[in-house]
Amino acid sequence: MQAVILAAGEGTRLRPLTLSRPKALVPVANTPILKYVIDALLANGIREIIVVVGYRKEHVIRYLNDHDLPVRVVYQENQLGTAHALRCAEPYLQDRFLLLAGDNYIDAASIAQIKNERNAILVTDHPRPTDFGVVIARDGLVREIREKPTTTDGKIVSTGIYSLDRSFFRYAVGPEVPDALQAMILDGVRVTPVRAVDWLDAVNPWDLLEMNSRLLARIETQRAGTISRSSKLYGLIRIGKGCEIGPNTYIHGPVMIGEGCRIGPNCVILPNTSIGARVTIEPLSYVAHSLVMDDVVIGSHSRVIDAVIGEGCRLADHTATWTSEAIFEREKEGFQKASFGAVLGDRVRSAPYTILKNCIVGNNASIQSGNTTVTGIIPDDAVVI
Amino acid sequence: MCGIVGYIGFRQAAPVIVEGLRKLEYRGYDSFGIATNNPHIDVYKCEGKISENDRAAAQLHGSIGVGHTRWATHGVPSDRNAHPHLDCTGRIAVVHNGIIENYAALTRELEERGHRFRSETDTEVVAHLIEEYYRGDLVAAVRQAITRLQGSYALLVTAEGHDEIVAARDASPLVLGIGDQEFFAASDVTPLLGYTERVVYLEDGDLASLDRDGWHVFRDTTPVRREIEHVTWDVETVRKGGFPHFMLKEIYEQPKVFYDTFHGITPESLPERYRRPSEITVVACGSSYHAGLVFKYLCESTCRIPVRAELGSEFKYFTPPLKGIVMVISQSGETADTLAALKKAKAYNCPTLAITNVLGSSVTRIADHTLYMRAGPEISVAATKSFVAQLAVLLQLVALMSKKDDFAEPLERANSAIEEVLLQDIDRAVEICRPAQHLFYVGRGLFYPIALEGALKMKEISYIHAEGYAAGELKHGPFALLSEETPVVALCSPGDTYSIMLSNIKEMKARKAPIIGIGAHGDRELIDIVDVFIPIPGSHELVQMIATSVLLQLLAYRTAVALGRDVDQPRNLAKSVTVE
Repeated sequence: MQAVILAAGEGTRLRPLTLSRPKALVPVANTPILKYVIDALLANGIREIIVVVGYRKEHVIRYLNDHDLPVRVVYQENQLGTAHALRCAEPYLQDRFLLLAGDNYIDAASIAQIKNERNAILVTDHPRPTDFGVVIARDGLVREIREKPTTTDGKIVSTGIYSLDRSFFRYAVGPEVPDALQAMILDGVRVTPVRAVDWLDAVNPWDLLEMNSRLLARIETQRAGTISRSSKLYGLIRIGKGCEIGPNTYIHGPVMIGEGCRIGPNCVILPNTSIGARVTIEPLSYVAHSLVMDDVVIGSHSRVIDAVIGEGCRLADHTATWTSEAIFEREKEGFQKASFGAVLGDRVRSAPYTILKNCIVGNNASIQSGNTTVTGIIPDDAVVI
Repeated sequence: MCGIVGYIGFRQAAPVIVEGLRKLEYRGYDSFGIATNNPHIDVYKCEGKISENDRAAAQLHGSIGVGHTRWATHGVPSDRNAHPHLDCTGRIAVVHNGIIENYAALTRELEERGHRFRSETDTEVVAHLIEEYYRGDLVAAVRQAITRLQGSYALLVTAEGHDEIVAARDASPLVLGIGDQEFFAASDVTPLLGYTERVVYLEDGDLASLDRDGWHVFRDTTPVRREIEHVTWDVETVRKGGFPHFMLKEIYEQPKVFYDTFHGITPESLPERYRRPSEITVVACGSSYHAGLVFKYLCESTCRIPVRAELGSEFKYFTPPLKGIVMVISQSGETADTLAALKKAKAYNCPTLAITNVLGSSVTRIADHTLYMRAGPEISVAATKSFVAQLAVLLQLVALMSKKDDFAEPLERANSAIEEVLLQDIDRAVEICRPAQHLFYVGRGLFYPIALEGALKMKEISYIHAEGYAAGELKHGPFALLSEETPVVALCSPGDTYSIMLSNIKEMKARKAPIIGIGAHGDRELIDIVDVFIPIPGSHELVQMIATSVLLQLLAYRTAVALGRDVDQPRNLAKSVTVE
């Protein structure tokens, strides 16, 4: 059996985190979402995997190479929709195949449910169905798919995972897969809905925190590197090679720490925190319920809670996040209410004594004067003084 | 990373395996070996690349065989350490890709039981373990042996008196090729293509047995079914893993290569006697020479040690009076001119230091002391990641010699700046370079060697005549060549020479030359006077220097691709120049 994973789209709703990577490469529990998808396929013995790449394709290919993942890469030069992406893989498809999104988490059990079905769609219940394609099913068959409707009674949404065969290409003439499926249904083809066991999507950047917590619960424990004897570690904790955990550091799992990190002395890391590779957390800092990417420096006396910190950010000492609820007006998305501490893009710099209050800070932004409270949305490359 | 191949069938195994290993050279090429089973085990091992030493190997007889191409990380490449490894009796041959983490403990245990070890590798322990458990059933012996292993492995085993190859994998890649009365096993599909398109991907924990009549896969003792799949991939696509060229693949590896190399050099890497030499002579060729020039600037200004940078080809015939230490830089460790220079320095009784990417290469055997880059195999003829790795080694060297802790500090996170420069949009700069017949690269100080290296990259892969100059030298001749058809790539980062560079650029602009200005993020002055401005990340001069060299590689690459050049195999050039 073959599988096509779509990983060409940027995932604009996750901005600013998608400047240097497509959504499929955003690390959750220190592992890009794409890797979970590939693992779920491999666990089901599906070995012929085609990954369609486009936006920041070199980064996706480099990741696949580094991890010796047995996949074939296909380019989609311009991002003209999911059906177009699938058509890029058409020359390599023989008969039946699974179609998956590279930027949603899926488990192996769900793949096992759908892989033997012909013309099926994997569905799940979701509390915010209007963010997705709502699936209307009757008598065990899919009747209609409504893409991101403004209102709906149904709670069943499409996970973007399908079991299809080559005849699908007759309908896949437009830009998007759901439209093609809709055309196929109207043509009288039977499409069955299959329940997903575990599927997760992060629509907005702050949703990554929830996804991170869910996936951290499944990590395997590991204690590599040098861990000071006077540090206290409780619960599910994974510490990568070459880490130095300084004296009197308190870590309460689930916590995942990547390779080559330096933490402490006297730091506190609380549950549902993932810390990427080569991260430095200086003495007397506190990190909880956060997703910290690679090469980040968190200065001493900082307090980081409910935050997504992008690659290469350097937070000076006494940086604090302040969790509160606020209403954002985001490009294309309109008004959204959300409660979190901070979402920082890549390489954000903050001056000492910065307070990040429920804010989204763009890539390469620099907060240059201390004692500032930053709120709202700060664009890429901005200088805050 | 290493590559393994196994064959059982009706053909002579050795030539099939040699050809397969050559296709796996991208996984490593510092030594290789083959064992055939005919029904005695014959072994051939050799240091160096397969391509250059394959004749003797291909002469082994037998239609069952296993082979291995190595990229040493522990234990130097030598005939002794090359795979295949044998047990005490010489009847069991093993090739292995991966790392056996508990090999030291197992070795001790087996030595107590009377086993004799011949090599320094982690792999040999597997051969002895299998011997230990061998009771006439090879599959059973391998099954028992792998329960003892911790770490990662893809193994191929063949033994005297057995018409079979036993394969096992855990966390290292291994694929079986199913032909017509012939079967293959390899690290990836490239060695199989051309013989069969039918493959079986083994899963972690699988044990497989290939004999002349078929193949079987087991989990413990239970036979399991594995689907046969059809591959239609071509060899090159697999080896590049999806990148259009090796050069681009290697450019994108640089953040990791810089980080690994920079942190791989520790105070223990450099013995005390090299710390305060009266003088240093650096000998190198090509890109390595440019790295040597960077070192000269930094070492002289930071450590106050006089440094001379010499070209290998000149040094051999026109040797300057030598004092202090002689340092040679060579990616492959086989560059003929550099080797000759090294021998000469030895003859002058100078302490010698080598910097190379290949463990156990010729320079490492001649030089008194060696520092390694951790770039991994570099396939593209144009040096990219090895240049950045050389800079990483040399920068650490300056830090160690200067004894200034703050020198290296800003470089700790240079990988992040390289990552950032890879995101840079350079389309407009490529548009300027593409139609040009001639290009000038100018810089001052540290950026002068970087300009030379940028020009070298451009000419070797795009075939555009590109020259690097110290910006002040332009006025002493080359200025006469400037016109609207000679674009200039100007490296103008903040520092002592910033303002003089700005006025140089204005002068060039006055001769109507289109200028591509490369400078610091947020530079307000440069952006106004150049035609295309490309900002470079990093707030420190040394980080900007590294980022700039990566940017110039990208500029050369994109220009060459736009011109439709054969980027990985430029005309008339070889990866390492092993003749004078």
